Amino acid sequence: MDDSNNPAKNNRGLYLDPRTKILFLITITTFALGGAGGRRVEMLAPVLCMVPFLLLITAKRFKTALVGIILLFASSILLEFANKINMSGLLYYLVLGSFGILSRFLPCIMMGRYLMESTTVSEFNAAMKKLHISDKVIIPLSVMFRFFPTVMDEAESIGWAMKMRGISLGGKHASKIIEYRMVPFMTCCVNIGEELSAAALTRGLGGEVKRTNICKIGFRLQDYFSVALCLIPWILLIMDVVK
Amino acid sequence: MIKFENVNFKYARSKDASLNNVSLKIKKGETVLICGESGCGKTTLVRMINGLIPHYYEGEMSGKVYLNGEETSKRMLYETAKTVGSVFQNPKSQFFCVDSRSELAFGPENMGINEEEILKRIDKTVSSMNINSLMDRNIFAMSGGEKQKIACASVDTLSPKVCVLDEPSSNLSLEAIEDLKETLLMWKKEGKTIIVSEHRLYWLKDICDRVICLNNGEIIFDMPMKKFKNLPDLKLREYGLRSVNENLSMTPLKSDLNNKDYITFENFNYSYKNFDVLHIDKLEIPRNEVIAIVGPNGAGKSTFSKCICGLMKGFKGTAHIGGKKYKGKKLLQKSYMVMQDVNHQLFCETVLDEITLGMDELNEKKITNILNKLGLKSLSKRHPMSLSGGQKQRVAVASALLCDKEIILFDEPTSGLDFYNMEKVANLIGLLRGKKTVFIVTHDPDLIRRCATVVLHLEKGHIVNSNIIGVRKEYEKEEEEYYGAAVSLCRQS
Amino acid sequence: MDGVTNQRKSEEKLGGKDLINIGIYAAIYCVIMTSISMLGFIPIMMPMLAVLCPLIGGITMMLFYTKVKKFGMITIITVIIGAFLWITGMGYWPFIFGIVCGSVADLVAKSGNYLSKKKTVLSHGIMNITIFGCFLPLYLDINGYFATRTSFGSEYVKALSDIFKPWTAPIILLCSFIFGIFGALLGMSFLKKHFEKAGIV
Repeated sequence: MDDSNNPAKNNRGLYLDPRTKILFLITITTFALGGAGGRRVEMLAPVLCMVPFLLLITAKRFKTALVGIILLFASSILLEFANKINMSGLLYYLVLGSFGILSRFLPCIMMGRYLMESTTVSEFNAAMKKLHISDKVIIPLSVMFRFFPTVMDEAESIGWAMKMRGISLGGKHASKIIEYRMVPFMTCCVNIGEELSAAALTRGLGGEVKRTNICKIGFRLQDYFSVALCLIPWILLIMDVVK
Repeated sequence: MIKFENVNFKYARSKDASLNNVSLKIKKGETVLICGESGCGKTTLVRMINGLIPHYYEGEMSGKVYLNGEETSKRMLYETAKTVGSVFQNPKSQFFCVDSRSELAFGPENMGINEEEILKRIDKTVSSMNINSLMDRNIFAMSGGEKQKIACASVDTLSPKVCVLDEPSSNLSLEAIEDLKETLLMWKKEGKTIIVSEHRLYWLKDICDRVICLNNGEIIFDMPMKKFKNLPDLKLREYGLRSVNENLSMTPLKSDLNNKDYITFENFNYSYKNFDVLHIDKLEIPRNEVIAIVGPNGAGKSTFSKCICGLMKGFKGTAHIGGKKYKGKKLLQKSYMVMQDVNHQLFCETVLDEITLGMDELNEKKITNILNKLGLKSLSKRHPMSLSGGQKQRVAVASALLCDKEIILFDEPTSGLDFYNMEKVANLIGLLRGKKTVFIVTHDPDLIRRCATVVLHLEKGHIVNSNIIGVRKEYEKEEEEYYGAAVSLCRQS
Repeated sequence: MDGVTNQRKSEEKLGGKDLINIGIYAAIYCVIMTSISMLGFIPIMMPMLAVLCPLIGGITMMLFYTKVKKFGMITIITVIIGAFLWITGMGYWPFIFGIVCGSVADLVAKSGNYLSKKKTVLSHGIMNITIFGCFLPLYLDINGYFATRTSFGSEYVKALSDIFKPWTAPIILLCSFIFGIFGALLGMSFLKKHFEKAGIV
């Protein structure tokens, strides 16, 4: 893992309540990516898509935001162009299929990334607690938050080990590639997981007392504004369903 | 404070008992070192004090463990957690949060302590441990030493009366061990009871007042540090212990190979986000020697080793081996890394399958030869993952040898090993000398003095010092003594 | 799981250890699922998700099932996976399916005391019906679905709507169930072949 994932206080930019960020993420994935709500919401989708980039800019992550915006625009222009000239064939699938996916997923990935980078685990916990979600869900979720980077690291190391042994999809061991990848991967992750839970338990996790949280979170003006923006497509969706 | 009464324990899935009839008392404010060879029951003993046995690790237990007059098996884990704080060995797995402030608050939050009090405690810990520069940072981006500091600090915020540390120095550089030492001295001053289980003993000689040594789950001696310090090294070897007065100089062996063959690395530069991680323009290294790479945590050692193995993306450096030029993918075919967590590189169902996996054609003779040499013959039908750490390491080496790799790189092969196993690794690397070029990334001076012929000192991505021609001094004698002891002990193990 | 002598905690309540286990396995599962989903942009591969996810995920899940001894663990992990699918752009149906399938799967496994192999296999099959939730919007409103996806290009849309004819819905549903069962069997063979020997079960 690198420095960019540092949720240090100084470069977090516009302060948003974690709940707002989660609502943004859900709204963007549901409407911009999942395409729920049909035509009526489609007008709003581009607005929603721009939100993560704006947030990244406030967090002074200009480079990431700029690259993201360029990719997003380039891929949508390219797609439009390709549809216009009715391109077809294998090339079409490979190049444009991936661009299509990119332009769809990019805002969500950016939003997810912003959420991960700008939220500490305890802020996240505090937000979930305020949403009255049970500890039985909060604890697994916060473990997940913490465990993702570890899982990625392990997968990367195993990828290296496989490269050094010359195991690849093209090689003669292709048929067993899933086994070769899964066995060390699971073993390492489970071992680390065991140690992690032992460590957490010696620090009192799972007691009967109510957990406290040092994080103070709360809604501010920008949160109310953001929530209002997110609610529009949801209302439209509900109206659609009711009708 | 802590009392063991005839304690026996056997893990659910193992055949042998881990602790045999252990009785002991530890008074309040004592600092105790628990030592012994790998698998002697040190970790089990520690887990009994912090309550992980019997609450987390399952097995058959008899006898009683009292903590502050209460039986640990009758107390819930989170109650024990108020009295006992634990620091573990692996920095990868002992954090629950991603940023340091949340981590420090995690323990007290679980106890339901109110927010203001927690903040006060964090401030106190931060100032007493002098870790202001580490606050509000991503723990994953910290070096091993910094991680261990955070682990200690997060124990400190709970202000437990007892602190247990399970091999806390395993992954640390010599510099980081000094920091850890300071933390322990501070705790000692505060009157905490401290129990450390360790392989590396030298740094604890001014901290601990009492030494307990285990063997096969039994206490073989329990003596004051004053007396223990004066035990001769030969005596310590008998128990599989490392030296108390460890020689920390990293002098390499004198090479007896007369080769003029060199491997030349060129353009070994790697930068990450405009930050120079590695900056070596040209480096000549004698071929078929054992090269130790040393330096503080975060000096670029692991980047350097990944570059040698051709694993870094976008890395442009080249290596000239025997008149040929290798780069990128070609380098990948020529080199092999034995990783710190060997589990990453074991893929197959049996040892035999494992070591022949990368071979182009099966050569029975060669396979048998290497199996014999590395002492894996009797294990060839076993599942690689079911072997011990040292055996796994040898399997990885065997597979590298059978793939005809030119360069073999060991990433911290001796972290967390006792004397015997360290010696075994040294012998293993010694076997490769003269046939392969071996790199060892290590913090272990003992290992370097035993098998390395070249020492490269890395700092901030630069080579600051390379000791290519080793000097053998009075330490030569010392070495003979070690080997003599090791030979006499081979019968036992 | 024999030789366990120390089980005095309240049997029914989920402890810290259980909750952490859920988090760990959910993280592993989600990473595996995401890497499989990357194949999804090749149209033929999209229904294959209903095959590959249950199959490969089975390896992880069978390990998870060995840690399950109380009611609730399977439900929670399925809900979390559903929520994960939701925020990674599969719509909210997997989340709803997750709640339903998760609790049914949990009940099935519970009826075998979390020890019966047959019930475990069946439970894993049911659990994987969650994956079908990703495809549901395609059948509910195929035109609406594609109306917002024109940016993918007409060929892609055509290829997809060729595959997702209404009569294929039960097949995909069945697929996710059957391959869930196969996945469980595969996972069990991995347990025996590797993980038991590696000492992580």
